[in-house]
Amino acid sequence: MRSHSIRGFLVALVVLALAWPAPALADETCNSPYMGNLIKAQEDYVYVWTLGMKGVGDGSDKLVTIDANPSSSRYGKVIHKVSVGGRGEAHHMGFTDDRRFLWAGGLDDSRIVVFDVGTDPARPRIVKRITDMPKRTGYVGPHTFYALPGRMLVQGLSNGKDKGGVTGMALYSNQGELVTTYAMPTTEGGDGYGYDIAINPRKNVLLTSSFTGWNNYMMELGKLVANPEAMKRFGSTMVIWDLKAFTPKKVLAVPGAPLEIRWSLKEGDNWAITATALTSKLWLVKPDANGEWQAKEVATIGDPAKIPLPVDISIRNDGTGLWVNTFMDGKTRYFDLSNPEQPRQTYEKVTGKQVNMISQSWDGTRVYISSSLLANWDKAGADNEQFVRAFKWDGKELTPAFEVDFNKEKLGRAHHMKFGSRAMKAAYPDAPLASVR
Amino acid sequence: MPRRLLSWAGWVAAFAALTTSAWGHGDEARDQPPPVKADFTPPVPGTYTLHPIMRAPSGLVVGLDGRARPLAELTTGKITLLSFVYTRCRDAWGCPLAYRVFDAVGTAIERSPTLRSRVRLVTLSFDPRHDTPAVMRQYAGEQSTRGLDWRFLTTPSEHALLPLLAGFGQDVRAPATGGPDEPGQLTHMLKVFLIDPRGVVREIYSTAYLYPEVVVADIETLRLEHPAPVGGAVRARPTR
Repeated sequence: MRSHSIRGFLVALVVLALAWPAPALADETCNSPYMGNLIKAQEDYVYVWTLGMKGVGDGSDKLVTIDANPSSSRYGKVIHKVSVGGRGEAHHMGFTDDRRFLWAGGLDDSRIVVFDVGTDPARPRIVKRITDMPKRTGYVGPHTFYALPGRMLVQGLSNGKDKGGVTGMALYSNQGELVTTYAMPTTEGGDGYGYDIAINPRKNVLLTSSFTGWNNYMMELGKLVANPEAMKRFGSTMVIWDLKAFTPKKVLAVPGAPLEIRWSLKEGDNWAITATALTSKLWLVKPDANGEWQAKEVATIGDPAKIPLPVDISIRNDGTGLWVNTFMDGKTRYFDLSNPEQPRQTYEKVTGKQVNMISQSWDGTRVYISSSLLANWDKAGADNEQFVRAFKWDGKELTPAFEVDFNKEKLGRAHHMKFGSRAMKAAYPDAPLASVR
Repeated sequence: MPRRLLSWAGWVAAFAALTTSAWGHGDEARDQPPPVKADFTPPVPGTYTLHPIMRAPSGLVVGLDGRARPLAELTTGKITLLSFVYTRCRDAWGCPLAYRVFDAVGTAIERSPTLRSRVRLVTLSFDPRHDTPAVMRQYAGEQSTRGLDWRFLTTPSEHALLPLLAGFGQDVRAPATGGPDEPGQLTHMLKVFLIDPRGVVREIYSTAYLYPEVVVADIETLRLEHPAPVGGAVRARPTR
């Protein structure tokens, strides 16, 4: 942590009785249900949306491709990188429904870069840039990129007027044309904040969570926690939307900045889970006996008094387990979700001095962890490890498989990860790109 | 209750019956799973908005009579439900599902005096080398003559097909592996496009959200937007 000791930082948080959340999202089990071509065998590549660091390499945000197939001679190596030019607080990515294109956003410059990952999955290339989101929508900080059929739903974190947390979603066609916008609710208990998007098509439900605005997520962390007013401006709601009508139906009170949302993918299940960054809790969202959607706290992550700061979660494909990464203590925890009403931690391991994103393969046997949270929130000095670490998981122990040191490789801060595969090729290779030009 | 709502309640009831009945298209079709039934009641038509997504692209297509014509003639003037398929598709949740959903939607349309003349179904092959008009005629069976405006189309060539795939954003892939028992198999994400009478795509469905009752609700929503038929075929503008 730059000019603040960890202890001082934690004390400040406790005194303020406030906290802050952090961005994340990833892995094969968390993709949109509208996305085809899930990689259920061995992934070949891990794409890493990487924040540029001044004086490190070319200093630019970039998409880094790591060979992740153990049968490859380049296993665990960086095989490709494409810089986007400049630093815009690279953060999250999302595939289009057909997995041909990967949309990636910058939380600071609000730019969206579209990479073609279908033509040559080993060598993504930029095919489109969307630079007018703030002007066209009023929203800034494109965070979650969620595939709908033929469209991308983009969740903003902030707005261009006061750069606070009131924001909305922007719907784009896969061609990159703005279709419409949807404001986050500010009535009926809504705080107007946004963060993650997750859809349950069978129930016609879209579920959203809430984080904070540009003023906060771009502030030096030390300054932020020392500012009581700023610390009040974090989300404390989740919203149940009518997916078809795209209208909010119910605002759920979930204090403590609920971040990533994961629906159980098990057939017949009808619940979602999230982690609150401020309060270090797991919350379950499911209908009650009357069919009314409710949210309730179901577990504690570490010792909330120590502010472990859960920043990303990853659910097993059968809904029976959940990985939780906590940034401050660098721990990766596993919760047994056999009973989602009572999650039970069964494993933990320190996987880095700071850890953020966690992504697992479809079968759960491979787990990938990255290090960076936000440029101004990452730790400093020797604690500022920047990496992607791959592990094998046998149900009992995480065993290191490979590591890419993003500092040593002069790449930058490793943030969001997505998987790629060379398994498929376009039957009509001339056709795909025309759809985004 | 307004008459429109009463009508909508009727639709829902009709679909409850439809989705639990056998789908009348031959033994092979009945061996396949029926369309998934939505686990919710769709919103009432006209109470929500289907935003314009993109203009439907144009290009040459070939009907069962072997005659080439602009696709725009078949994506304007009526509310159009269009899906890409290929006749050799074996994925029960791909093209066969599209066929079933179209069959179910078509049955509902036939029964509706307000929709019968206002809706067109289009099944368009993305495998022109194999799916000739003769093959498409066989694939269509009696559907093309049942009194419903259901068109079965292919393209004159792959060259003619490409701008349509690109314009609609329809992916088609060749599997990296495939044994001799899978000749001609292609993979694609099933997409169904709902196009308004002016040729603008207003909704796109894929397998995860392809419910006949939802599709009909959306069709009804577009009909309420266009209470009078849009006259004649409108020449489609280039895709945005």
